[in-house]
Amino acid sequence: MVKHILFLLVISSICCAKQNVYEQNCLSCHKELAVKIDKFFYRYLLKYSSEAEVKKAMMAYLKNPKKDTSILQDGLIQRFGVKKKTTLTDEKLKESIDIYWETYTVFSRLK
Amino acid sequence: MLALKNWDINLRSSEKKTLWSFLGLYAFLTLLILAFVAFLYYGFERNLMLQNQKESLSNLTNEQIARLKSLHVNFEKEQTYPRDERFNSAIYDSSLKQIFSTLHAKKVNLYEDIYLENGRIYFIKELESYYLGARYIVLEVPAPKRWDRKVYRKLLLYGGLIFGVLVVIGYFLLNLLLRPMRETIVLLDRFIKDTTHELNTPINAILSNIEMIELETLDSALAKKIKRMSIASKTISNLYDDLTYLVLSNHMGSHDESVDLKTLIEERIEYFTLLLESKKITISTDLQENITLIIDRKKMAKLIDNILSNAIKYNTIQGSIYLSLSPEGIVIQDSGRGIQESQIHQVFERYTRFDRSVGGFGIGLNIVWAIAKEYSLHVKIDSQANQGTRVKISW
Repeated sequence: MVKHILFLLVISSICCAKQNVYEQNCLSCHKELAVKIDKFFYRYLLKYSSEAEVKKAMMAYLKNPKKDTSILQDGLIQRFGVKKKTTLTDEKLKESIDIYWETYTVFSRLK
Repeated sequence: MLALKNWDINLRSSEKKTLWSFLGLYAFLTLLILAFVAFLYYGFERNLMLQNQKESLSNLTNEQIARLKSLHVNFEKEQTYPRDERFNSAIYDSSLKQIFSTLHAKKVNLYEDIYLENGRIYFIKELESYYLGARYIVLEVPAPKRWDRKVYRKLLLYGGLIFGVLVVIGYFLLNLLLRPMRETIVLLDRFIKDTTHELNTPINAILSNIEMIELETLDSALAKKIKRMSIASKTISNLYDDLTYLVLSNHMGSHDESVDLKTLIEERIEYFTLLLESKKITISTDLQENITLIIDRKKMAKLIDNILSNAIKYNTIQGSIYLSLSPEGIVIQDSGRGIQESQIHQVFERYTRFDRSVGGFGIGLNIVWAIAKEYSLHVKIDSQANQGTRVKISW
C-alpha cells in the first residue's frame, strides 16, 4: 500500500513538473473557455503585427485588463466580461507570453 | 610688355592652346549641365512608367491581401504562403522584419511607394489589418521590356544635337573674345619684327667698321674708347640676335651639323674677351678635345653666349668664371651674385629678371631653355646668393 502511494506521488510530481508556467497559469483556464486561446493570438497579431508590439500589448493588458484595451469583440466581452488582473510576477508573465508567442507564431511556420 | 608675360610670340600655337583649353572647359561644363538635365529627364520618364504600372500592381496587391486574410483565418489548417506566377511578394511586420518572402531582392526599401531596381518594379503597400502580422506587403514584377530604350535614344539624339550646337557657339564666342587680343599681339609682333630688321644694318655697319680700325695705330686713350664702343655694339648685337631668335624661331629651320664644341666655346670666349677684360674677370677653362654634338651651330652658339653673357653680366669686378667641357656636358660657373633659391624655378620664364641693376630683357635663359628643349639637352642651375651660379648643360 505504501509502495502504491509513493508511486502515485512520484508520478503526480513528474506530471506537475512537466507543466510550464504558461500551461499552469494560462492554458489551464483558457482550455475551459468557448473561445480557444489561439484565437486571441491571431487577434493580437492582426492588431499589433510585430513580436515586440504584440508582447508589449499582451503584457499591458494582462497587468491591467480593461474593456477599452481588450482585443475581443464587444459581443464577446459582454458575454464573458473582462478577465481579472494577473497575479503573476512580471518575470513569470513575460515567460508565459514568450511561450505563448513561440507556440503560435506564424513567422517560422509559413512555408 | 607685362601683359605679354608668358605669351608666346607664336600666335597660332598660343591661340590654339587657349582655344582648346577654353573649348575643353566649355565642353565639360556643357556636358555637366546636359548630364544633369538628362538625369532629370530619365527620372521623369521612369516615374511616368511606374505611375502607369501602379494601378495594375495595386489590383494584384489586393488579390494577395485577400489570400493573406484567408490564410490568417485558417492558419491552423493551412500554412502555405500564397504564391502567384505573375509576381513575387513579401510581407514585413511593423518592426520591418521580414515574415516571408519570395522576392529576388534581399533588401527592400519599405519607405518608398513604388520604385525600380535591377530591372524589377517594387510596389509597397501598408495593410490596414495586419494579417499574419504583416504590416507591409511588397510586390515584385519585372519592368516592361526595353522601356528605357526609347528614353536613351531620345537623350542621345537631343543631347548630342544640343551639345554640338553649344560647341559651335562656344567656338564663335571664343573667336569673338580673342579678336582684340589677337590684333594687339599681331601689331606688337609686327613692330618687334620691323624694329629688329631695322637694327640689323646699323649694328653690322658699326661692328664691321670697329673691326677695321687698327687699334695699335691709335693712342691708348682713343683705343680704350673704341674698345668700349666695340663692347657696346656687341651687347646690342647680342640683343639683336636674341630678338631675332625670339621672333623668327618658329619660322627658322635648323641646320644640324657635327659641331666641335671645344672650337665653338673658344670662339665664344674670344667674342666676349673685351667684355671680360672690362670687368677684369679671369676665365679658366678645362676643355676636352674631340667632343662633338649634332646641332645647329648658331643655336648652340646662342645657348653658350647667353649663359656666358649672364656669367659676365652678374659677376663681380675681378670675379672669375670657370668653364669645363667633358663628354657628359658643359659646366659654366661664375663667382657672381647668384640667385635666391626660391627664384631658381622661375629663371626660364620669359621676361623674368631678378636684378635690374644691369641691362637686359629677361629673355636669355628662356632662349637657352627653348634651344635645350629642341635638342633634348638638360639644363641644371645651382646657385647660392652672393656666392655664384653653376649652369650645367648635359646630354
